[in-house]
Amino acid sequence: MIARQVLAALLLAAIAGCGPSRPPRDPLHQVSLPDLARATDRVQAQLRAQYASLTEKRQTPATPPAELATAFGEMGRLFMAAEYRDAAEACLSNAQMLAPSDARWPYYLGHLHKARGDAVKSAAAFEQARALSPDDQATLVWLGNAYLDQGRPEAAEPLFTHALSRDPRSVAALFGLGRAALARSDYTQAAQQLERALSLDPRAAVLQYPLAMAYRGLGETDKADAHMRARGPGEIRPPDPLMLDLESLLESPVAYEVRGARALDERDWKRAAAFFRKGIELAPAEPSMHHKLGTALYMDGDAPAAAAEFEQALRLSPHFAKAHYSLGIMHGASGRTRPAIEHLTAAVRADPTYVEARLRLADVLRSSARTAAALSQYEQAAKLDPRLPDAPFGHAMALVDLRRYQEARDRLREGVSTFSDNLAFRHALIRLLAAAPDDRVRDGHEAMRMMQDLLAREPRRYDVDEMMAMTFAELGQFGEAMTWQRDAMAGAERAGLKDVARRMADTLSRYQRRQPCRTPWWDDDVNQR
Amino acid sequence: MSCVVESFDPATCSTKCTVGAAVLTLMLAFSGCGNRTAGTPRAEPWFVDATRQAGLTFTHFNGMSGDFLYPEIMPPGVALLDYDNDGDLDIFVIQGRMLGKRSVSDALFPPGDPAALRARLFRNDLAIDDRGTRTLRFTDVTETSRIDARGYGMGAATGDFNNDGCVDLYVTNLGANQLFRNNCDGTFTDVTKPSHTESPGWSVSAAFVDYDRDGWLDLFVGHYLNYSIEANIRCFGLAGGRDYCPPHVYKPQPSTLYRNNRDGTFTDVTAAAGMAAEFGPTLGVATADFNNDGWIDIYIANDGQPNQLWINQRDGRFTNTALFAGAALGAEGEAKSSMGVDAADFDNDGDDDLIITELTGQGVDLYVNNGSAVFEEQSARAGLRLPTLPFTGFGAAWLDVDNDGWLDVLMVNGAVTQNVEAVARHETFALQQRKQLFRNTGRGRFEEAAERGGAVLQQPEVSRGAAFGDIDNDGDIDVVVGNAGGPLRLLVNHVGQARHWVGLRLVGAETRRDMLGARVAVARADGSTLWRRARADGSYASANDPRVLAGLGDSATPPTIRVQWPDGRTEEWRGVAIDRYTTLEEGTGK
Repeated sequence: MIARQVLAALLLAAIAGCGPSRPPRDPLHQVSLPDLARATDRVQAQLRAQYASLTEKRQTPATPPAELATAFGEMGRLFMAAEYRDAAEACLSNAQMLAPSDARWPYYLGHLHKARGDAVKSAAAFEQARALSPDDQATLVWLGNAYLDQGRPEAAEPLFTHALSRDPRSVAALFGLGRAALARSDYTQAAQQLERALSLDPRAAVLQYPLAMAYRGLGETDKADAHMRARGPGEIRPPDPLMLDLESLLESPVAYEVRGARALDERDWKRAAAFFRKGIELAPAEPSMHHKLGTALYMDGDAPAAAAEFEQALRLSPHFAKAHYSLGIMHGASGRTRPAIEHLTAAVRADPTYVEARLRLADVLRSSARTAAALSQYEQAAKLDPRLPDAPFGHAMALVDLRRYQEARDRLREGVSTFSDNLAFRHALIRLLAAAPDDRVRDGHEAMRMMQDLLAREPRRYDVDEMMAMTFAELGQFGEAMTWQRDAMAGAERAGLKDVARRMADTLSRYQRRQPCRTPWWDDDVNQR
Repeated sequence: MSCVVESFDPATCSTKCTVGAAVLTLMLAFSGCGNRTAGTPRAEPWFVDATRQAGLTFTHFNGMSGDFLYPEIMPPGVALLDYDNDGDLDIFVIQGRMLGKRSVSDALFPPGDPAALRARLFRNDLAIDDRGTRTLRFTDVTETSRIDARGYGMGAATGDFNNDGCVDLYVTNLGANQLFRNNCDGTFTDVTKPSHTESPGWSVSAAFVDYDRDGWLDLFVGHYLNYSIEANIRCFGLAGGRDYCPPHVYKPQPSTLYRNNRDGTFTDVTAAAGMAAEFGPTLGVATADFNNDGWIDIYIANDGQPNQLWINQRDGRFTNTALFAGAALGAEGEAKSSMGVDAADFDNDGDDDLIITELTGQGVDLYVNNGSAVFEEQSARAGLRLPTLPFTGFGAAWLDVDNDGWLDVLMVNGAVTQNVEAVARHETFALQQRKQLFRNTGRGRFEEAAERGGAVLQQPEVSRGAAFGDIDNDGDIDVVVGNAGGPLRLLVNHVGQARHWVGLRLVGAETRRDMLGARVAVARADGSTLWRRARADGSYASANDPRVLAGLGDSATPPTIRVQWPDGRTEEWRGVAIDRYTTLEEGTGK
């Protein structure tokens, strides 16, 4: 179909050279404005203005084909940005027919078909764009990707290789070559290309998974393991000025929200804030936009302005849970416990499934000695999301605060079992087993077994040494306990924690008096609790 | 025996099966089946819409009110179960209602009879006359069955949890789920509370599975998102129109594994099984012995987060190996929007492979098993990625449509975000997509059988659940499709019965229940072996025919059947009759 359109356009172009100054309009696709009632006013205005401009050019017989092509192309781009894809296709096809040497129009058509999931049409359009602009990085990479979608790595590889020859530092091209090699089960080649890509962009966590698969294929399980653990989300895109331009066209709140969110992902707080402000101009009553602006401002260090935006979100929507949560966090961080609890409570009330709000509420309640209330919040948070270690850990520590040591021990044991990689549970359990004031809880032998396991898993630190000292003391081996305690004190001194070292000296004097430790934590054990 | 020539389709016959065609021509002369000759090319569709003729009048109601509430786009699931043990599959389909405090008058498409909004059970009154002609007819027996499911339904799972020989029914909901015990007299009793299987929240797919090999079916309930109508989030398209939200705006909800206490009650053993600390928004569940160690594993399809492969540690615990097994993510390492899933041995190499349906632009996943639960994603190589990219897939299954011995795949589709142009044309619920059938060429590749599949596959609908099974007992797999806010659809297979097949019902020794999880090796005359499995799970929010049906192609030689029972024991039966169903009872083989 597209080939036929190109042929028709070429024929038209040939006629144009020896006859009238512009081709007849008949072969062009019909373009009309869809019902825009569901679009925002601003988007409607944008589309209508563009359409009026196009109509004017169409109705002016003297409009040169190139100018008309641009008018169709611009209309197509705007339709595409607003997701009116059928209308966009008609416009871009017209633009391509009228300006067959302009690579932009088939390029955009390639993306349009890609968005629909039509990889065959997408590849055909990108091929047309490549014929017009053979060295364009973005075209080469997207075409290669389309061939990979078709299960044709052998067709994709030369494109990525070409792209790489034009830009030897192209991560997108190397990523493509790596995936093409993986598709051919050529793990050696895949590992080489993906390692190169990773060396050029070490932060591109999305490269890690295919790299892990390559090493798995090579039987190098340790490397596969390491890369698998480092995997993360993301997208590898070639430099793509045409699409970036298209993505900045639409002036709708959601479009600005998307751009702002992308800027947040890129940690460009100021740019994010600017996008959200534009979104607010278009939708001043949208609380989520104020909340997002507040987040960007807070990240940029402007806490008062951030708080003002969160407050505005709440004026617009008094039960907006996220705004309550953000204010609760801000108040909590500033030590304003009461408003922190009020806002976090409101967040939980507005959205009972808001697990982060429950957790922070529990933390603030616990730190303000409302431990029983904290327990309940921890419990509910753990039920909502059993993946989060913070909830059962906080729950166990709250039980310690309440001197319910047996229950705390049991909760910590569960945590050790469920979160085997999370050492905080082990640390806390060892402290309880070695030094809990409740005789029914302590078990020096179990503490020692766990300590030995712990020392095999992590390097010695002052707090680890202190736990070992506690354990030896519980077992009545005070000489060993004193040695470890002195090491712990020296470690604390080295870490600049003089107060901690002084406090440890008190415990050391207990060991010297052959008295075991009965204080699992002190107030300065913030890391452990 | 069915009239095997009736739907023989020479158009599908390659040079390889010319002899078979000749044999069929001879058979035709004696069979009195009709006046067609096998040599005459015909283009009879493989699937025919038999919904109306069969009396299946059911339209799903999703309570749409124009507020774009997320749950509206997720159901309905469907179940195929022989609840009355009369040898044919009955149909259970879930129903919706208005969400939250909205009344039926708020509905964009009000139901005909609001009082009748409840899940429905249709009894199969299949009639076969002296000439072998089959007439499918369904009767709504919801009232007499006493199944009272009036929640906002999502899906269903089937299994005989109390080993009384009658299949029971588990219904998943937005809200508390329901377990219906089959009383073996055509009625059911709601035993949710006494069985402790309420599992409140939002669950979609569930599966009965005997993970601890104690002879009693346990229950896995996949949970989706933490959602409440009160905290519903409003989402918009780029141009500003309201639309359904993506799942990531909500938090996932932990799934539940229940151990059967053998006394009608279940215990939540999720944490004890090691499954509590890892979960995602679950939409699909398939259970199979992926590493061939004789113990059933559990595969979970998550929406927008990595999938999970829970390998059975044989001590009541599971370990999620999906990442390192290469079955958690797409080929580029991206967490995809997994919906439906099914496990089966599509390449006939003796292990179960996975097919997973995904969102538009993502393409299906085909995870090919190397025999030890290590997978490679081969959808592009197999020709499945490209044609599935434009579609959002939900229900799906491996099925040997034409009984050639190679498992094909059928998936039912429907978008989850609106097409703004369709909305501009004032179409409401503009999510319709057609269905897709892919034929396994036997050489590691698939080809779409769009035209041969029949017009019913081309019909755009918002399809969600799909249950697969031989509804007319003619030796091929039919399909029941649940459409969101649309009619139930019955797709009758008209091609499979043209070839030979062996049908098996695998039942226990002490109780004649379907032994879900049993593996079957069908040793064919040419020396090759097909591996199949008795299962009801897989697809999306649906329950399938637990019987095993294996296509034998043109071979009329009775095969040898070896069954590996869920407890690990193996038995063999020689010369099992073809072109009919045979019940194999545990302990009666060699």
